[in-house]
Amino acid sequence: MMAWIAFGIVAATLLVGAFRVVTARNLVHAVLWLGLTLAMTAAGYVLLEATFLAVMQLLLYTGGVLTLMLFGIMLTRRVEGVEVPNEAANRPRAAALALGVFALFTWAILNTPLPPAGPGGAVTAQQIGHSFLTDHLLAFELLSVLLLAVMVGAIAIARTRDHAPAGQGGHRPGRRVLPKVNQKGGAA
Amino acid sequence: MMQAWLILAAALFSLGLFGLLTRRNAVGILLSVELMANAVNVVLVAFGRWHGVADGQVFALFTTAITVAEAAIGLALVILLYRQRQDVLVDAATEMRG
Amino acid sequence: MLELTPLQWAQLALWVPLLSAVVLAAVWPLRKAGGPAAGVSLVAATVNLAAAAVLLFGWLNGAEDVRHTAPWLIGGQGLIELGVHLDGVSVSMLLVVAVVAWGVQVFSLGYLADEPKAGFGRYYTWQSLFLFSMNSLVLAPNLLQLFLGWELVGLCSYLLIGYWFTKPSAAKAALKAFWVTKFADMGLLLGLIVLYTHTGGFEWTATTTAATTVTLLFFLAVMGKSAQFPLHIWLPDAMEGPTPVSALLHAATMVAAGVFLVVRAAPLFAQAPLTGEVMTWIGAFTALFAASIAVVQTDIKKVLAYSTCSQLGYMVAALGSGAVLGGYFHLTTHAFFKALLFLAAGGLIHAVHSNEISHMGGLLKKLPVTGWTFIIGALALAGFPGFSGFFSKDLILEGVAHQGQWVPLAMLLVGAFLTAFYMGRVVFIALLGAPSEHAAHAHEGGGSMKLPLLVLAVPALALGFFAGPVAGLWGHEYHFHLGWVGLTASALGLAGIGLSWVMFAKGGAQGLLAAFAPVGALARSGAVDRLWATGYRQGLQVLGGAIAWLDRYVIDALMNLIGYLSLALGDRLRAVQTGNVRDYVYAVVAGLLLLGAWGAMFPG
Repeated sequence: MMAWIAFGIVAATLLVGAFRVVTARNLVHAVLWLGLTLAMTAAGYVLLEATFLAVMQLLLYTGGVLTLMLFGIMLTRRVEGVEVPNEAANRPRAAALALGVFALFTWAILNTPLPPAGPGGAVTAQQIGHSFLTDHLLAFELLSVLLLAVMVGAIAIARTRDHAPAGQGGHRPGRRVLPKVNQKGGAA
Repeated sequence: MMQAWLILAAALFSLGLFGLLTRRNAVGILLSVELMANAVNVVLVAFGRWHGVADGQVFALFTTAITVAEAAIGLALVILLYRQRQDVLVDAATEMRG
Repeated sequence: MLELTPLQWAQLALWVPLLSAVVLAAVWPLRKAGGPAAGVSLVAATVNLAAAAVLLFGWLNGAEDVRHTAPWLIGGQGLIELGVHLDGVSVSMLLVVAVVAWGVQVFSLGYLADEPKAGFGRYYTWQSLFLFSMNSLVLAPNLLQLFLGWELVGLCSYLLIGYWFTKPSAAKAALKAFWVTKFADMGLLLGLIVLYTHTGGFEWTATTTAATTVTLLFFLAVMGKSAQFPLHIWLPDAMEGPTPVSALLHAATMVAAGVFLVVRAAPLFAQAPLTGEVMTWIGAFTALFAASIAVVQTDIKKVLAYSTCSQLGYMVAALGSGAVLGGYFHLTTHAFFKALLFLAAGGLIHAVHSNEISHMGGLLKKLPVTGWTFIIGALALAGFPGFSGFFSKDLILEGVAHQGQWVPLAMLLVGAFLTAFYMGRVVFIALLGAPSEHAAHAHEGGGSMKLPLLVLAVPALALGFFAGPVAGLWGHEYHFHLGWVGLTASALGLAGIGLSWVMFAKGGAQGLLAAFAPVGALARSGAVDRLWATGYRQGLQVLGGAIAWLDRYVIDALMNLIGYLSLALGDRLRAVQTGNVRDYVYAVVAGLLLLGAWGAMFPG
């Protein structure tokens, strides 16, 4: 009974938070609502006896991603102090589709017999670490390579190209010319 | 109980999808995607507990790492988009039109 | 004596000439050396001759027929095989080919001695290739292999006619021979296709309702290969090749392949009376027509070429009337005496360096061996009693008379008279006539040019007396009897010789020459050639026009339609690519829902 009450609280908060994330007009608000949602997910992980993961969730998501998103918003605001434009597009159609997907999933969940439950008990961080370095070692290493690639890629994509190589005055013919933006935000 | 967690995850996923379809701002879209990835993580953890194995959480951690990477790349793209168009409205960026 | 089975002997006869041809083709220093190349080819021809002789000896003593095949293609309706079929028919033909080929190769040593060495080697390479091709045709266990050999000898014919390919007339003649026979060979190919669709095989023993179609198509090929009117036009031109080639291919063996086909496929032809009728008439007409043209020719090789057409006409007429024995026996005797005549004519030409009989004259005294063997051949051709041609021609005439084909019989009898007449003309002018200035320094060739003549003279002279055993080889019986037909033919033959003696030795009855003026005009005008040339061109142009129209307005239109449809479709489909990210997400979600719905409706 206690489990159900706890689940009900977590689930309700989660859903409200998620709803606000996708509907809030102010994007900064939406990010903050996302923070709530992610934190409540961490609480859900605790209920699911995944305490290590809950901590990770708070550290990585709620800490990292949220900060990242706020940076994104701030970097792309055209003018200081003006509310970030965040109008919605065609809500009824999107709602219909989302409900359809939800109905499909629910139908599938309710109509698929669950496999027999395994032994209960919490999974310790030690077990997770062991699993990373034995069964999933290759995936683990690949993931580190991926993160390196992402880091390099993100820098490469986002870096400004104002520092053209010396001696190359003007644009090379045949190359698509993108409008250059100077640091003040105006078109070059 | 298990099915309740799954339905909760489905609801989160659908909400994320709704956001994905309605947001015009690229950052808003990224937020929605984070929500959907989070829903997937919930499913992984719930099943890991159901089977009593560590794999669920291991996968969830993988997903988390990949999602963070994706957020970084996504933001880099958003910044690039902004630098070229002075806005981050995805509806306006239709250069790929056939 | 080697202890080999008949099959092994046959393999020897087949593969040794091929080996020789391949070696000569591949090892060019050997080929370009000339003399050694001839040696290689001659060894192959000798082995072939020995094998053929052993085989014939075996079959004369009643050896069992041998059939050995190996799978070649798995067809839709069964297996297609290649191999060797040994029976009386193939073994005797094998020996005929072997003897003539050997004689011709020996003769060529002297005849072509003045040729450049490279050309000499090339000549012998093709001679070896021809021997292999002809053997594979003769030994074929089914009609498909026969067809392969048929095409191969056609190729060799083309190559050997064009031996002096730098000479425009020779190159043209080679091309003409190739074209005309290829046109006719379509008949064989189509006939084989019809036969295959009806019987699922290429057996000549097959029984089929399509026999008339098949045999008529086959006969078209026979008309081309065996130079029957109106497809005879290539044979006189083929005389542009070296005379030994004319002796081997265009008198004795290759042109006889058409007749051989009819003999081989006799069970099929027996099912088609209509084809037989057609063959009798065309054969008889060719015999008469070609003989009358031969009368007015002044080129000794042309006389012999038209004579070959005419004699092949006799064979075809005989086979058409069901006288298979007569036709085949005449093929055999004709092969010997016509090869002899050609080689002897080659000797005469070699002596005076001219083909014109008026440039010869009185050569009998200067070239006794060549002259006398020529006379033996001429007498055999004229059907002089006792010579081989007399017996075989008698069989043919009896066969045609037996069928009650009186008009063809009359044609053949007149043809026999003309044959004797034109051969008499050649003999009385070239050998016995007044010596011409060209012939002043004429002298006999070396031993290599005498030996083949003497060898070939024997069967030309005496083969007729062995008609019984030879007929036995082919499962026939032969009893000599001289009916009124034979007597008439002999009398006409003697009359022809007599008339030629009066006209060309004694200089009398010159008024008769005028009677042949129209024939001469016809022969010179080349009317038949023009008819073909025009018909061919017009036909091809009409066909080409039709195909061009089809290509432009049907096939191109189809292509354009497909192109237009692709463009139109693409034009409509490009709207799908809006470039708007949201639309793509909608598409993904819609796809997910469709997949889910499908999974829900068809679980499992």
